[in-house]
Amino acid sequence: MTQPNRELEATILTFVHQELLPAEVTIDRDDDLLSDLLDSVAVLRLAGFVDETFGITTGPRDFVVENFQTTASLAQYVARTRASTR
Amino acid sequence: MTRLLHRTIQDAAHRQPDAIATRGLGGDRSYQQLVRRSGALARTLLERGLQRQARVAVLLDRGPRVPESFYGVLAAGGALVPIDPRSPAAQIERILEATGATHLVTEPKRAAGLGEIAARCHTLRHVIGVVDPIGDRSIASWTEVEAAETNDGLPDVPVLELDTAYILHTSGSTGTPKLIRHTHASAMAFVEWAVAAYDLGSEDRLSQHSSHHTCFATFDYYAAARAGASTVLFSPATLKLPGSLSLTIEREAISVWYSVPTALVQLLLRGALEERDLASLRWILFAGETFPRKHLERLRRRLPKARFSHVYGSTEVNVCTYYHLPDGEFPDPLPIGRPCEHTAAEVVDGDLEPVAAGASGELLIRGSTVMSGYWNDPDRNHTAFYRRPSGGGFEETYFRTGDQVQTLANGDLAFVARTDLQIKIRGHRVELGEVEAALLDLDEVEEAVAYSVSDGEASLSLRAAVVSRGATSADALRDRLRDLLPAYAVPESLEILDRLPRTPTGKVDRQSLSASGQIETREQKVAEP
Repeated sequence: MTQPNRELEATILTFVHQELLPAEVTIDRDDDLLSDLLDSVAVLRLAGFVDETFGITTGPRDFVVENFQTTASLAQYVARTRASTR
Repeated sequence: MTRLLHRTIQDAAHRQPDAIATRGLGGDRSYQQLVRRSGALARTLLERGLQRQARVAVLLDRGPRVPESFYGVLAAGGALVPIDPRSPAAQIERILEATGATHLVTEPKRAAGLGEIAARCHTLRHVIGVVDPIGDRSIASWTEVEAAETNDGLPDVPVLELDTAYILHTSGSTGTPKLIRHTHASAMAFVEWAVAAYDLGSEDRLSQHSSHHTCFATFDYYAAARAGASTVLFSPATLKLPGSLSLTIEREAISVWYSVPTALVQLLLRGALEERDLASLRWILFAGETFPRKHLERLRRRLPKARFSHVYGSTEVNVCTYYHLPDGEFPDPLPIGRPCEHTAAEVVDGDLEPVAAGASGELLIRGSTVMSGYWNDPDRNHTAFYRRPSGGGFEETYFRTGDQVQTLANGDLAFVARTDLQIKIRGHRVELGEVEAALLDLDEVEEAVAYSVSDGEASLSLRAAVVSRGATSADALRDRLRDLLPAYAVPESLEILDRLPRTPTGKVDRQSLSASGQIETREQKVAEP
């Protein structure tokens, strides 16, 4: 079991709440981002945000459901990618 | 032989009961199971007073309940009204009201939003698929529907092929939706043509990419069932991530794909296709808008085993012409090809007289896939159809497509422009399609749309929006357009977006761009490899 990446998760959650979700919606790290919450444009913006903020490059092979399903999975993907490029 | 949409699953279940009808989203379902479940819904509707040809709205997210509900409504003799699951409440209400639907098939999570709608839609009496009460309406849960399952197949309800099968709505962002009525006969005419044209068989697996309330579903579901093939369902999450979508195509061994070009462009640009084995794809059908040539060429190189077919039509006529791309080079622009066997096409001028050979004019369509008309809309029906005497006191009825086409020397039809996509800028006629083509000629432009915005007075301003790759600026793109277009056809403003707004079928939504007249600025997008 990988350690949760609380700091990464907090940064991502803040962006999702401030930029992508309606004001009255609050989500948690394990909520499914893809089914109802975000449309395809918002998913692209989220990918752009993590690339810029965390200095990674999300190419087509990483642009998959497993990485973007929840805030927790996205934080893990970011942590993994940063570790492997260092 | 009776040509009824629900007979397709009955026949498939008879021939090959264990063959898979739908794959994905909660498990595979055989044709036998599909008949059982559709039959249960049909019986539930009949028990709850469904009258012959009464409208039954279906409001469901993607999933196996969609085909079960479609066939259940049809088998009960109802007229199916599939509603776009992403519709706002006001749109759902408009459709229920305009069609006078008496029954609604939905799912529990919709219950909360339905109370208010039901309070105003007085024709709606029965809601199937919810647990919590909705006003004073009679309700039935899915558990109750399942309890009505039997081994007796579909109920025996008299249905004629001339009866309404479904009423589809288009979702323009403004105004009232168009409600398009098709009979079992007009739907089956397309289904049978499609099965023959693409040689669909029980080994095939068809994609279900476009939303199920569109005319694309006629192919994805009914043509698949007629052939005894499988329909592969995608989750909303998969549809948002092209890398996952391409993986699903590989894993499910999809053999026939049908969508708007945009979906294929996304797969090409962001779907990691070089890492996938998509050799199972034998036909790729696309329709609805122009396929940018540079992307089409790359996709063909990426998928050398697939054949490509450009199909042309609209919800009103379903598919009426088609063009199978030849091996190697293909003409520019891509023709829309020849009329299907069930269709006659005629090109006419502004007075509805045939044009001279090779001249462009409006395309008129006559044939067995043409809708019977717009629901409850005599004004639209008056202008949509053109009736010409054909002798003996009879007449031929043509649907006016509103599309400008010309007949090429070899007999193929070529699309020229939408009649309503020609605008006047300071007295000059501008084809929005030509502006878009010029933008797409620029290497860094992935997608482009040109549109006009009214200044509230008499004049229009020409604008454009693009999706680009790599670093560029709107000014730089406009500068380069000046080499390609006359000055009046260079958009006055150009914006770079993450993605173009789309209608539910995936076509660029020019109306919303024009209406809003302003659009979000570009955000960082996913980096390209």
